[in-house]
Amino acid sequence: MPSESMNIRASTLAGWPMTKSLSGPTTYEVLRDHGVDRRTFLKFATGITATMGLEATFVPQVVHALESKPRIPVLWMEGLSCTCCTESFIRSSHPLVGDVILNMLSLDYHPTIQVAAGFQAEEIVDKLIHDKPGQYVLAVEGNAPLADGGVYCLEGGRTFEDRLREAASKARFVVAWGNCASAGCVQAAAPNPTQATPIGKMISDKPVINVSGCPPIPIVMTGILTYILTFDRLPELDRLGRPKMFYQHRIHDKCYRRAFFDAGQYVQSWDDEGARLGHCLYKMGCRGPTTYNYCSTFKWNDGVSWPVGSGHGCLGCSEPGFWDDGPFFQRLANIPQINIDSWPETVGKVVAGAAAIGAGAHAVSAIAKNAVKPTEKVPVESSSGVKGEE
Amino acid sequence: MAIETRPFTTEDFARNPDDYYRAGYVWQVPVRVTHWVTALSITALFLTGLYIANPVFSPEGEAWKNFTMGWMRKIHFAAGFIFAVSWLTRAYWFFAGNNYARSGFPMFWRAGWWRDLWHQLWEYLKLKRGPIHLGHNALGGLSYTLGVVVLGAFQILTGLALFSQDAPTGPMNRLFGWLLPFLGGPFRVTSYHLLAAWFVFTFVILHVYIVIYDSTQYRNGLISGMITGRKFYQRGDKVQDTWLG
Ligand code: SF4
Repeated sequence: MPSESMNIRASTLAGWPMTKSLSGPTTYEVLRDHGVDRRTFLKFATGITATMGLEATFVPQVVHALESKPRIPVLWMEGLSCTCCTESFIRSSHPLVGDVILNMLSLDYHPTIQVAAGFQAEEIVDKLIHDKPGQYVLAVEGNAPLADGGVYCLEGGRTFEDRLREAASKARFVVAWGNCASAGCVQAAAPNPTQATPIGKMISDKPVINVSGCPPIPIVMTGILTYILTFDRLPELDRLGRPKMFYQHRIHDKCYRRAFFDAGQYVQSWDDEGARLGHCLYKMGCRGPTTYNYCSTFKWNDGVSWPVGSGHGCLGCSEPGFWDDGPFFQRLANIPQINIDSWPETVGKVVAGAAAIGAGAHAVSAIAKNAVKPTEKVPVESSSGVKGEE
Repeated sequence: MAIETRPFTTEDFARNPDDYYRAGYVWQVPVRVTHWVTALSITALFLTGLYIANPVFSPEGEAWKNFTMGWMRKIHFAAGFIFAVSWLTRAYWFFAGNNYARSGFPMFWRAGWWRDLWHQLWEYLKLKRGPIHLGHNALGGLSYTLGVVVLGAFQILTGLALFSQDAPTGPMNRLFGWLLPFLGGPFRVTSYHLLAAWFVFTFVILHVYIVIYDSTQYRNGLISGMITGRKFYQRGDKVQDTWLG
């Protein structure tokens, strides 16, 4: 048996395993119904195992879980968001990944892609909350504005905050999808007029998994749900509540331009020789060194490319507050905290320069003063005995 | 006895050193060693740190033949660890050393320290030199504490936290990694680390200037004292150090 890797250290939670109480068709059964053959299914299981950072010996376990365990019902809610998470999610170019995401979750309610609308759709939510309490997963895209009683986001005549709290109270756990839900994103950027609040700050009695990114990579969602199905527990989370298996390393740690970074070769302007040679984008404001995400490992659009791959620095979209850390194309942010519109080095130079000028001025005045006035009392004569100046 | 007011001269000293001009042992070996280790490591840290923040020069040729940023970072990390050890040693010597080793720290629990502080501040506001101390005066000690001890601790902690990102499962990350989200994420911590480095540099400018000024003006062996451990004083000077207890 393979030893358990750090990725699957148990998160101790009351009430697990979660899949015990579920009923309905398994993921594999649903895939078969959709015409996916077994070979393709096994390929998917192998791929997803590797994505989760597990070794090949785990493949049978993953296959077994997908074959034997019922799908997880998902209630997908959208608050203040741009829907880019959904766009990312339904446009995963690998057909099977998209298929599996849509089928693996029994996506009972999704405001953007469901057919139902109006009262009919809202009924589904109520039904899910009342029929499957403690079973469904609440996936939240976007966040809730709390200012003025939450009136800045209304759905079906109720505030989103209200709906969210109701749905979360009966959920098994909550997946905060994207930077909006996990950290606030652009609507929570300073000065945050609607008081947009990330889900993790509103819900404290349920585990909240932050799947950050703007948007996150689709495979990350699949990976997390497969993990939960397979091992019957939540993945290990980092300090910001993001699953470690995808958010443990920085973009910079696995960036293919890292060799240029270490060599000291940087793009200096967008159209210079270095840009053509693919040098590191550090000086163009790349946030890779401080951003934890999966892009440099898995890339986007089925491995076609990713921001750094297309010559644009990372914006740090999976980090909290990245909108406030601008300008994006500058190595370090201006200092908003003390409201000085310049970056740390400029501030530092000013302070150090002032000190140098002060010291210089003092030296000049001291020399000038010395020329005319003595500064110390000294007895000029003394005998062999001890004498003081007093 | 005729008292003339003028600075010391070498002749005064040569004529009668024992009279009003004594050498007192002030800085013990650990104080001196950590001082110079700190000075050298801070220099290395600041220069490499500036390059890491803003790599102003780039090597030519193939990437695999060069390691400029790599070396800058390696030197920065090594110097950082040396500085941290030096800081800890010096902090230990606060407890183990002589009274002068304690003079650089605010003893705010002692009334004498406050008296010395206000007295010194008042004299400085009058643009006077104030009473002479063999160690630090309370005000100088406070600046030292803020400029070296506090800023140094901040740089060590944020530096270790940023460094720990290289090995996310390592012990360093467990010890210091929590600081990153606590201070607003690694990106902001990078900014604070750089900003604090400039404050340290500011302290260094003032420190070096004041030391040179004081030493040449008053011939008290302020600079050589950090090498030999001895400083010169006049009768009555030591009285001011009484707040040290
Ligand atoms: S391009 Fe960005 S992520 Fe890649 S090595 Fe350079 S700084 Fe790091």
